[in-house]
Amino acid sequence: MTKSRLATTLGCFALLCLVIAAVLAWYVTRTPASPFAAQASAAPPDPALVQRGEYVARLGDCVACHSLPEAAPFTGGLKMATPLGAIYATNITADRATGIGAYSLADFDRAVRHGVTPDGRRLYPAMPYPSYAKLSDDDIRALYAFFMHGVSPAAQANKPSEIPWPLNLRWPIALWNGLFTDPAPYPAKPDQDAQWNRGAYIVQGPGHCGSCHTPRGLAFNEKGLSEASKTYLAGGLLDGWYAPSLRNDPNTGLGRWNEADIVSFLKHGRNRHAVVYGSMTEAFNNSTQFMSDEDLGAIAHYLKSLPGDPSRDGPAWQYQASELSAASSAPGAHTYVSRCATCHGLDGRGQAEWMPPLAGATSALAREDASAINITLNGSQRIVAAGVPDAYRMPAFREQLSDREIAEVLSFVRSTWGNHGGAVEAKAVGKLREHTGPASSNPIILQMR
Amino acid sequence: MQLRINQTTYEVDADADTPLLWVIRDDLGLTGTKYGCGLAQCGACSVLVDGAVVRACVTPVAGVVGREITTIEAVEADAVGKRVVSAWVKHQVAQCGYCQSGQVMAATALLKHTPHPSDAQIAAAMVNLCRCGTYNAIHAAVHDVAAAQENA
Ligand code: FES
Ligand code: FES
Repeated sequence: MTKSRLATTLGCFALLCLVIAAVLAWYVTRTPASPFAAQASAAPPDPALVQRGEYVARLGDCVACHSLPEAAPFTGGLKMATPLGAIYATNITADRATGIGAYSLADFDRAVRHGVTPDGRRLYPAMPYPSYAKLSDDDIRALYAFFMHGVSPAAQANKPSEIPWPLNLRWPIALWNGLFTDPAPYPAKPDQDAQWNRGAYIVQGPGHCGSCHTPRGLAFNEKGLSEASKTYLAGGLLDGWYAPSLRNDPNTGLGRWNEADIVSFLKHGRNRHAVVYGSMTEAFNNSTQFMSDEDLGAIAHYLKSLPGDPSRDGPAWQYQASELSAASSAPGAHTYVSRCATCHGLDGRGQAEWMPPLAGATSALAREDASAINITLNGSQRIVAAGVPDAYRMPAFREQLSDREIAEVLSFVRSTWGNHGGAVEAKAVGKLREHTGPASSNPIILQMR
Repeated sequence: MQLRINQTTYEVDADADTPLLWVIRDDLGLTGTKYGCGLAQCGACSVLVDGAVVRACVTPVAGVVGREITTIEAVEADAVGKRVVSAWVKHQVAQCGYCQSGQVMAATALLKHTPHPSDAQIAAAMVNLCRCGTYNAIHAAVHDVAAAQENA
């Protein structure tokens, strides 16, 4: 090869690199299209639209991350520990200096549905825009009206994220978005009825159920964003909890629940199978109980249409009676009788819908034992239904039972009454004790809400 | 709803999920049953439902409609309960006394079901907390009742 040919080849290569770099630079900083781009901000909207937006904010549970309990609503500040460092939820009130008061409807749309700020910066997908992408134009318009006119603007500066350079570069997120998100709003399925489509819309879009209930891949991407994927809502381990399957799996999912059970669970926080706990308590307290009966019915209808997977879920649970008394000698049985049976019953069946049964409970049937361990160590959070705090709560046994005692009692629960979740190791209890300890220096990696 | 407590029928007006303890103490004024923790942890609120000991603070009242409830006020109407109380007096078990109505109910339930409990059975059944540390006196009193029943 002559010198000049080499130079030409190198030159072409360099040019190619430059072009790729330029395209890449455009791609990762470009502002996505918005159907609202050409619209000037209009006069104050119809109060009905603001009200509608408030309901959409309930469906989306915006308050879960964008508020702290003791601060003004929607002023952000919630700390989320990610593997790279902590990030903080932002102020989304209409304050012009520190909130989103200067956002146009199109800016708002790009942030909510595409995770892009007005200056082209990419949001971390802790903001569930991969789900919110499915919101309809109408709901975006209503949500915008609510945040602009229905929430008091409050000045509260955002906290900078604590992710160090170069990991804090945002542009690679655009590539992640290209691979793992679908920017189109929810497309109604013509072969399904209106109720099913409404349920699918809420579950996949504003409800962002998949953020917790869909297993994640290596890039921390949800493995499916709709029922087109068999792993969509198939249950995921996150945040020290196992978010169960929401498909028709009889053991780890909703296979034994009917539509009325699902509605009751989301509306009252409880039914004959289970009571909300873990991260679901917040979703219930702030979001699902405010949904209309019609929407809850639609959610239930849609979820019951998702088939289970026996190869993942295993043989269906059947109740098996078990003679149990204070003198039972199986390891863990004595602890169960003295600590657990008063509420959950010697027969493991709980008390109506007030105390959840452990016989047939997901936490006692799933291979993943995180939820069983976590609730035993840390107890349940307060459930507030229709403004009234619940009468009964799971106490925390962190200070009362050792790792071994917890492992034994949970192994007992997970192998009695037909439960087949399997044994729990004391080591696993110790690990979660450390991760969820109030003074832990090594906390749960991502607080997902 | 109607509740059968100490052989008496009471008409109570309470939500289905109200803890039995609230109804017993606040609505019916039977204050011998104590509130300790409200979380099924201490046993101060123990009562008998159909002869078995339950913790009233975690018993939704709707679940005990139609069942026979016994509180400390009427425990001596039961033959075993009467012997338990006598043994408690003889051994001077109570210190501050706060946990004792629950302890008596637990002991009565144990001895009705298992008239001659072994040490292990006593340890397994008598799990109510006592801040005053009367555990040894409780064991002695329970043994006493068991032995007396043997001779009777
Ligand atoms: S008050 Fe019921 S167990 Fe403590
Ligand atoms: S006698 Fe005082 S708490 Fe038991």
